[in-house]
Amino acid sequence: MPSMNPGPSTLTQSGGFDVYATYEKVLKNEELSVPLAAILTLVELIEASRAGTMFELVKELNDGAETLKKRLSNPISLNAGCELFIAFVTLFPHDSDSFAGLKTELVQQGKRYAAEGLTYRKKIAELCLGFIKDDSVILTHSYSRVVVQTLVRAHQQKRISVYVTEARPHSLGTKTYEALTAAGIPCTVVLDSAVAYVMEKVDMVLVGSEAIVESGGLINAVGSNQIAIIAKSANKPFYALAESFKFHRLFPLSQYDLPSHKPDILSFRHPKWRQSRTGLSEQPNKADSQTAGSPALGRGAQTTAPTSITQEEIFQCNPDVDYTRPDLISLVFSDVGSLTPEGVSQYLVGMFAG
Amino acid sequence: MSTESMSMSSQRLVDNLAYKLKRRQVVGSRAAALETLLVLRQVVSKARFSNIDQLVDIIRGAGRKLVEAQPKEYAVGNTIRKVLHHIREEYQTATGGVPSTSRTSFSISKFLVQGQPRKQAVAVQSEDRPLLKENDPDDPDSFAKGLKPVLMEAIQDVLDELETVYDNVSKNAKDHIHSDEIILTLGMSRTVEAFLKSAAHHRKYTVIVVESAPSYGGHEMAKSLSAAGISTFLVPDSSIFAVMSRVNKVIIGAHAILANGGMFAVTGSQLAATAARAHSTPVVVCAGQFKFTPMWNLYHEYAALDFGDPSAVLGFEEGDLVDKVDVVNPYYDYVQPELIDVYITNYGDHPPSAIYRLIKETYYDEDNELDSSTTAPESSKS
Repeated sequence: MPSMNPGPSTLTQSGGFDVYATYEKVLKNEELSVPLAAILTLVELIEASRAGTMFELVKELNDGAETLKKRLSNPISLNAGCELFIAFVTLFPHDSDSFAGLKTELVQQGKRYAAEGLTYRKKIAELCLGFIKDDSVILTHSYSRVVVQTLVRAHQQKRISVYVTEARPHSLGTKTYEALTAAGIPCTVVLDSAVAYVMEKVDMVLVGSEAIVESGGLINAVGSNQIAIIAKSANKPFYALAESFKFHRLFPLSQYDLPSHKPDILSFRHPKWRQSRTGLSEQPNKADSQTAGSPALGRGAQTTAPTSITQEEIFQCNPDVDYTRPDLISLVFSDVGSLTPEGVSQYLVGMFAG
Repeated sequence: MSTESMSMSSQRLVDNLAYKLKRRQVVGSRAAALETLLVLRQVVSKARFSNIDQLVDIIRGAGRKLVEAQPKEYAVGNTIRKVLHHIREEYQTATGGVPSTSRTSFSISKFLVQGQPRKQAVAVQSEDRPLLKENDPDDPDSFAKGLKPVLMEAIQDVLDELETVYDNVSKNAKDHIHSDEIILTLGMSRTVEAFLKSAAHHRKYTVIVVESAPSYGGHEMAKSLSAAGISTFLVPDSSIFAVMSRVNKVIIGAHAILANGGMFAVTGSQLAATAARAHSTPVVVCAGQFKFTPMWNLYHEYAALDFGDPSAVLGFEEGDLVDKVDVVNPYYDYVQPELIDVYITNYGDHPPSAIYRLIKETYYDEDNELDSSTTAPESSKS
């Protein structure tokens, strides 16, 4: 299969199998969330694999997951899916006659789970229904399929109106707005900076998630944390919606512990240092691509007008996701039930400990 | 369907208790739990069924009737859920697990919910399965005959637990109350009464009892405690905040403990807990685990929406006023989990955040709603 960057790292030992291309192909199915896509990719890897022992197979899976991880700027929910599946493969109680039989069994399990996983949003929507009261005003953040589905479900039975944040930099809030308006739900887009302004009018906050971590905290599109803090100070419930395959064995203590954090995110550029650099390399500010080889240096050097900054630059040095502490979250709704944030760790310990 | 298979006499028993609950002749969570259990024992012993689903339906049918009769006595529903849980467990050990092959029953979703596989893998196969056969066409009662003795034992276990609940809660009372401490308690709770008396065998301490108007359960409590030789003060509700600065610990009872770790408790509890928070005084709740309720306090944030007779607050002797004002007399407060430090139960001490997990262990998820119409798609799945 042709790939954008056919280096040796993208190819696993099983010959021509390209994990990343497979992942992109799988992800074309709009309904699949990232962890499920990751599982399906690994399933295809097993199918293509020529491994003859469990050890080899697990090694190939780990390598494949590693390759995928390196290609994504934000590998968090991908990791959740990969780790779940690899742990499952390792612990699968096999009494198959042959190794090939075991592989087919694993492939079937993976596919069955992916199909089952698609029904979880419906389950969560039903679960949430009892918590949404008639005539309530709900604030949501960015775009999440499970949140949209939940709101549409609630709309069938109850009068709800929804504020959705714009959620810069990707402005996915407008996508939520379109989906909800199409469903006939009264909806308004709120600037990220106006969340505190609108909070007084809100009855509850409902957000989706990239991952729910072991502390019970939430990783989600950047801005979730500040919404949770504002909701807490206004005494409004903050609910996170997450399918159980988004539970992730990670214990971040701060924003900077997230795997998506890179040193150049929100780093300071010293004005003096920049001037001296721009003196050295007199380039027009379009020369972005040429200096991309060393991002930290390059970005310092690229601006000829040191006192201004472009939108593009702002987006580049800002985070995509943030971490919300568990004490700010009222409940986590998932297909395994409505959990207190602490309840999440129980499942992770059950799968990964011991 | 469930009513058909329930015999006339059990039907009458269920109706009888339902009326008693409706008229509030049975009040208090332990009394309600005990009565429910006795009725359930009769229902199960008389029930005719040839597979587990029929039995569960019968119990659910009876349970639904009782819960509808008095939805605010949460212990009724809890007892039914607990019995259902025990029955399912007994059934599983008797038949050797779900009748399917061990290998295919394991899946990623099961892995997620139940954790690593070694536990389930062991139990299967060792049991002598032919003993209990469901839906036997020759003898439809054989399944019931085989299962009933163990079911009766299971129900007896629940009964024993209820009967020993006060002793077990107050088992470690002396570790929670130290000499010369001042304890504040509220209204009349049998659990707290037993707890305080048990501690009094080992320690000398003082109790401040809040009278808790308009039921004035505090009077009875104060009488009982002072009779047991505990130095007791009786104060009006209005002085809770004022005395709180001298109090070392607040020990109160609960009506129902909810899945989020909050609780419904006699009115005034919220006041005492908030006052305790303002003084950083620990709040200890004594309750049996039969009060664990798989429910969230959804909308009514600050009260259990259960109202008593308003004449206790404003009687008809105040005829002129009665026309002009609305009088409410709520039975229970909702106390948020953040205000509670620890629950002392008959199975040990737990922080509010652990309640959720204990509830998951105590009841089956599919029994949380006893209404079969909502759980029908759920149960067909499993």
